[in-house]
Amino acid sequence: MSRIVVTGMGVISSIGNSVEENRSSLKNAVCGISKIDENFPSRFAGVLPFAQIHTSTENLQKQLNAYEPGVTRTSLLALHAFEEAITSSRLTAAQITSYDTALIGASTVGGICLTDQLYADANAATGGSEYLQSYDGASVNMYLQKRFGVGGIINTINTACSSSANAIMYGARLIKSGRAKRAIVGGVDCIAKFTLNGFNSLFILSDEICRPFDAGRKGLNLGEAAAFLILEREEDCTEKNILAVLSGYANSNDAYHPSSLSDDGDGPYLSMSQALHIANLTAKDISFVNAHGTATENNDEVESKAMLRVFNKPPAFASTKSNIGHTLGAAGAIEAVYSILNIMHQEVYPALNFSNPIPSTGLIPVQAYSAMPVQHVMSNSFGFAGNCSSLIFSRA
Amino acid sequence: MMFIHDTVCISPQQSYLQETLFSGSNEIKSPVKNILYAIEPSYEMIPPGILRRMGRAVRLGIGAALPLTKKEGKPFDGIIIGTSMGGMEDCVKFLNQIIEYNEGTLTPTNFVQSTPNAIAGQLGLMTKNNHYNITHVHRGFSFENALLDVDMLLNDDKNRTYLVGAADEISSYNYNIERLAGGYKTEPLTGNNLFNSLSPGTIAGEGAAMFIINGDAPKAKAAIKAVHIFQTENEEELRKQIQHFMQAHIPQSASCLLLSGENADSRYQHYYHCCESLMGTSSSIARFKHLSGEYPTASSFAVWLAAEILDRQQLPAFCVKKQVNNAIESVLVYNNYKGIQHSLVLLQKA
Repeated sequence: MSRIVVTGMGVISSIGNSVEENRSSLKNAVCGISKIDENFPSRFAGVLPFAQIHTSTENLQKQLNAYEPGVTRTSLLALHAFEEAITSSRLTAAQITSYDTALIGASTVGGICLTDQLYADANAATGGSEYLQSYDGASVNMYLQKRFGVGGIINTINTACSSSANAIMYGARLIKSGRAKRAIVGGVDCIAKFTLNGFNSLFILSDEICRPFDAGRKGLNLGEAAAFLILEREEDCTEKNILAVLSGYANSNDAYHPSSLSDDGDGPYLSMSQALHIANLTAKDISFVNAHGTATENNDEVESKAMLRVFNKPPAFASTKSNIGHTLGAAGAIEAVYSILNIMHQEVYPALNFSNPIPSTGLIPVQAYSAMPVQHVMSNSFGFAGNCSSLIFSRA
Repeated sequence: MMFIHDTVCISPQQSYLQETLFSGSNEIKSPVKNILYAIEPSYEMIPPGILRRMGRAVRLGIGAALPLTKKEGKPFDGIIIGTSMGGMEDCVKFLNQIIEYNEGTLTPTNFVQSTPNAIAGQLGLMTKNNHYNITHVHRGFSFENALLDVDMLLNDDKNRTYLVGAADEISSYNYNIERLAGGYKTEPLTGNNLFNSLSPGTIAGEGAAMFIINGDAPKAKAAIKAVHIFQTENEEELRKQIQHFMQAHIPQSASCLLLSGENADSRYQHYYHCCESLMGTSSSIARFKHLSGEYPTASSFAVWLAAEILDRQQLPAFCVKKQVNNAIESVLVYNNYKGIQHSLVLLQKA
C-alpha cells in the first residue's frame, strides 16, 4: 500500500495568516493571546484573554471575494486556509472537481459564531436572517464544496476538541480504502459567545494567558483558527514536493467523564499507543510530541501521566496552545501543520509561559527554539466525551 | 459487504423492539400540525438521574442503542454515530441562559448535552467502551458517512463488530429555523396523506435507528452491499450517478425494491421521478417519509425499514407506491436532503 503523504497546507490563526507567518511566529515565541476586543458582543469583551484573528469579518469577505448570502466568519476562515492549502499543493480545478477528491472538515461551532443571530432566528415568528442554513457544522464544508465544486465524498466530523484530528484520519482512511485518491482535510472554529460561556460554565477558562504544563496553570484560553491539509497517495506525487508522511493515527475513548479525563489517562494512553502500532513504530522513535496541553488542571496532568506510560521517558514536547489558544475544532489540523513544520525544517518551537513542572509528573516542555533532528512527530488531540486522537507525521 | 445483525428503531411509528408496524395491529400515526414526533419508550435501561439530564436527541440515540449493547454483551469494537445537529434543544436552552442571565453563572449541563458527540460519547461512557468513537455531522450525509466509516473498518478487519446508527430530534428551535427557511408545508395535512399534498416543503420528523453491523453473513437480517453519496442540483448529473451505481451494483433491477425518500416537496420531486424512471417498470417502489417525517438522518429509518422488509420478506401495504412482484432480493434506498445531498444505500438478503 502506498504511503499517505501531505502535499500542501494552509493556516490562519492569531499568530499569522499563512503557514510561513505561523512558522515565523512560532520560532520567535509570539503569543497571539490578548484580551478580547472591546467590540466583541459579550460582557467578557476586554476582560478574558482570547487568541483572536485581528481581521474583521468584512475584511475577510473583501480579501476572499466571498459575498455569498449566509456566509459566516467560520466559513471565511476555512476558505482562507483552504485556498492556501490547494495552492501550495498545486491542485488543479480538474483535480478538485474530480469524483475521487474528498473534502473532510471539522467544526464544533459552525455558524453558531453568530450566537445572538441564532437566538433571534430560533425565536422569530416570521422573517428570519440570511443565516438560517448556516448554523450547523456542515454548513462550512457545504460552502467550500459548492464554491470549488469538490467532486468526491464530503463529510464533517464533530468530536469536540479532537474533531479535525479525526477528520485527517477519516480522509487518510478514505484514500487507503480506495474511495478517494486525494483528500482535503482540516478544521475551523471561531470565537463564539456560545462556546465562551460554555467553557466558562465549566470553570476551565483562565483569566490569564494560559500556561500549558505549568504547576500554576489556571485553565485554557479559547482561540480561533482554520487549517487544511492535502493528503495524497505517495505514488501519485512523483512530481510533487512531499512535506511529510502521515504514518499513524488512532482514536480511542476514555469512557470516564463527559468533560474531563480519567486519572491515569486510559484514553490518551490508548490513542498514542495505537497510533504507534499503526505507524509500525516504537515509542523511542518519536522525536517530538505536539501535546494537546490545553493548560487545564485536568488535561495537562493526565496527558503527562499518559505520556509517561507510553514513553517511560517522554521525548521533547510542547503545546502550541500557549501561542494560539485552544482552537477546538481547528486544533487537530493546525497542530498537524505545526508538527509538519517541525519535520520540514528540523526544528522545534518553544512552549511559552512555563516556569514550574507539575509536581506529580515533573515533565518539562521545550522552552527554547532549537534546531534538532525530527524524524517522527506525534500530535495529540483530546476532546469532551473522552474522545482521544493521536496522529503521527514522519519525514518523507 | 456489511451485515446487519440487529436493529432498534425509535420513530414516530411503533418501531421499538417487538412492537413494530409489522405486527399488524398497529395503526400508522399521522402528523399533528405537520410534525411527526417520535414515540418514546420508557427508557428503562437509562438510570433516572441520567435520563433527566439528557437532551432529546441524546435520549433517542442512547435509548435505541442500549438494548443492542445489552444484547451484544461485550463492548463493541467501535461506536459510530451520525447526527446532524445533536442536541439543538439544549443548544438553544443554553443560549437562553446566556441571554437571560447576561452571561453570568450558568449551569453547564445544557452546554455539554448540546455537543453533537454527546450521544456517541455518553454511550462510550455508559458502556465503558474504550474503542473507536466518532460522530459524523454532515447534515444529510451524517448517517451515510457512519456507514462508509464502518465499511472501511470492516475492510481492515472483518472480524469486528460495530454499533452504528443515527439520531436527530425536533426541538421547537430547529423546527422554527427550518420553518422560517421554508422547509415545511404551510397548509396543514389531515390524516396521513402526505403524498397527496405536493407543494413546497414537507413535514418534520425525528428518530433514532441503531444497528449491530459486522462482517459475518450467517444469521444476519440483511446485508449492506454499497453506499454512495454525492452532491448535485443537476438532474443530468443525478441520472449519471444513479446509472453508474446501478450498473456497478444492481444486475437485476426487477427484484430490487426502490425505497424512495420522496417527501412531497414539489421542489425536489423531480429527483425522485428521475430515480424511479431508472429502476425500470418491473421494480416495486415503496416510500417512508410519511412514517418518519423529514430530518437529516431520516435515511437511517429507511435502512431500518429495508432491513426489516428483507428479513421478513414482507412488503407492508402502508409503504407501497407500486407493487410488481413479491420476491424482494434487494432494496435500494434513494434519499435526497434539501435538493442537494443525494444518497444511495443498497441492501440485500443476507
